Amino acid sequence: MAEQLINGQVIEACQQGDRDAFQRLFEAYKDKVFSIAVYSSGGDRAVAEDVTQQVFLKLFTAIRQFRGDSEFTTWLYRLVVNACLDERRRRRRLLPFESTQTTVAMSSVSDKKPQERHYARLEVSEAVRGAINELKPKFRLPILLKYIEGLSYEEIAEVMGCSKGTVASRLNRGHSQLAKRLSHLNNPALWGE
Amino acid sequence: MFSKHVTKDISAYCHGELSSEESKRFAEHIISCVRCRSKFEEIKLGIRLAEQLPTLTAPDSMWQEIESALGRATQASQVVSMRSAHSWRKQAAIAAALLVVFGIGMLWFYKSRTDPRGPRGGPGSWLVTRLNGTPRIGDEHIASRGQLGIGEWLETDAHSRAQIAVGTIGNVDIDENTRVRLVETQPTEHRLELERGRMSARIWAPPRLFFVNTPSAVAEDLGCAYTLSVDDKGDGRLSVTSGWVALQANERESMVPEGASCETKLGTGPGTPYFDDSSLEFQRALKTIDFDKNPATRAEALESMLSQSRARDTLTLWHLLPRVNETERVRVFEKMQTLTPPPSSVTREGVLNLDEKMLDEWRSTLQASWGVGGSKGIPKSATEWKSLKSWSDLKLRDAEKK
Repeated sequence: MAEQLINGQVIEACQQGDRDAFQRLFEAYKDKVFSIAVYSSGGDRAVAEDVTQQVFLKLFTAIRQFRGDSEFTTWLYRLVVNACLDERRRRRRLLPFESTQTTVAMSSVSDKKPQERHYARLEVSEAVRGAINELKPKFRLPILLKYIEGLSYEEIAEVMGCSKGTVASRLNRGHSQLAKRLSHLNNPALWGE
Repeated sequence: MFSKHVTKDISAYCHGELSSEESKRFAEHIISCVRCRSKFEEIKLGIRLAEQLPTLTAPDSMWQEIESALGRATQASQVVSMRSAHSWRKQAAIAAALLVVFGIGMLWFYKSRTDPRGPRGGPGSWLVTRLNGTPRIGDEHIASRGQLGIGEWLETDAHSRAQIAVGTIGNVDIDENTRVRLVETQPTEHRLELERGRMSARIWAPPRLFFVNTPSAVAEDLGCAYTLSVDDKGDGRLSVTSGWVALQANERESMVPEGASCETKLGTGPGTPYFDDSSLEFQRALKTIDFDKNPATRAEALESMLSQSRARDTLTLWHLLPRVNETERVRVFEKMQTLTPPPSSVTREGVLNLDEKMLDEWRSTLQASWGVGGSKGIPKSATEWKSLKSWSDLKLRDAEKK
């Protein structure tokens, strides 16, 4: 919702150094930027906080250079992707999420009460996080931009500096790898069928 | 049709990134290509899993840290210069602009929360074209075209009709005196609710993408064209003109092929499918068996129905086997045996005990007499049946071999 309220006037105010406008911009995008940073850093929230802070500090100092040639979100997420890749290169290793595959017993989901089913879904969500973490960055980032940020293929292509066809191909492979790694979650009861 | 597989386009198709022409070509290919459809199911699971990825919440303290870092770096230069450079008029103008933006946002937010029809014309909506009269979406009449958003009702009166474009996967004609609601439209699922009236669907998407909820059953598209109606009591009728449709409710499932129909009843679910060219006496008797609980009436109806049964009606008899009591099952089995004897691997005891493997094997033999999809498309062995994900594959497999 907050993202809906960010328009040219807010960005212009940020360019003129308006701290309230900065905060407004931060509030609108912080969770999405933080989410990408967490998933890109192997679930390390401390690292993700650092990356998020770097992104916003860079954003606030560089926002005067934003000329509106591209969408603001595209510009922002290019900063995010670059920061995540830089961080990854710097760290050279990832701290993987704890594998949750063995803890998800989907065969019994349909027999569970709503409250228990809710927790089962959370476990699935954790399993997906783990599997996302195991993807190569070139497959993971398009998935994060698609599902966390809701970008179109064209926007993802612009952020990642590649063609739409490459985005389609990488998403395809990313989806396929997720499905193969988590094939044990292919249970109709889980999806309410 | 099989010269170019479409696996590389699956994600783009699911995300609505293909043009209408590309989507249509994709759907036409995937309906006929087992290999691409299998990959489609895999990618669809991948998409569903990716959709479970939650957005995380950044710590509350983060802004203070950023603000102090910003302050250290720029307070002396940027902020001070900004204050001196811009008069109170400029700041007031920015504040006013922000207030207007905030006001518009709040208005949008309020409207979307309080208007049960939800936002109009967004990506989660379907195009509705008026065919006759003045159909309505919510309280608004459609002049020529409108948008049906998630949660919105489309209603026709005695003189109006409309057509819905179901994304890029097909069309649904809405007949007179009909009320439908868009429940969901996502890459992996499109779902309508038919409260009353009649609709005809023509879907060219892969199986299991388009669903219609009715008060008495859910119709699951398996690549087909069909008409579905619901009366004021919530009972319904499905007639299939092409492909297959599955009807499900209350742990009952009926697979209805082209040329066949199936009744549904509120509280009971789907009845047993029957071919439209079966005798009226057969159809009347079947209705009694499906929905009448009086044992005497049922027994009489069963005898009447069996006396009218042709080889083709084994579609109905096969579905009845698990739905009748043990005594009735013996009678049904004996009649089926005279019409189309089971293969040697299928025993009387096995069928009467509802051995799933044997029932499947017999079904593959019976299919030849149903005249659905031609005999060339029928799987020959139980193993082949097992490899199929749905009955719709009956017709598709033959096309794949060409």
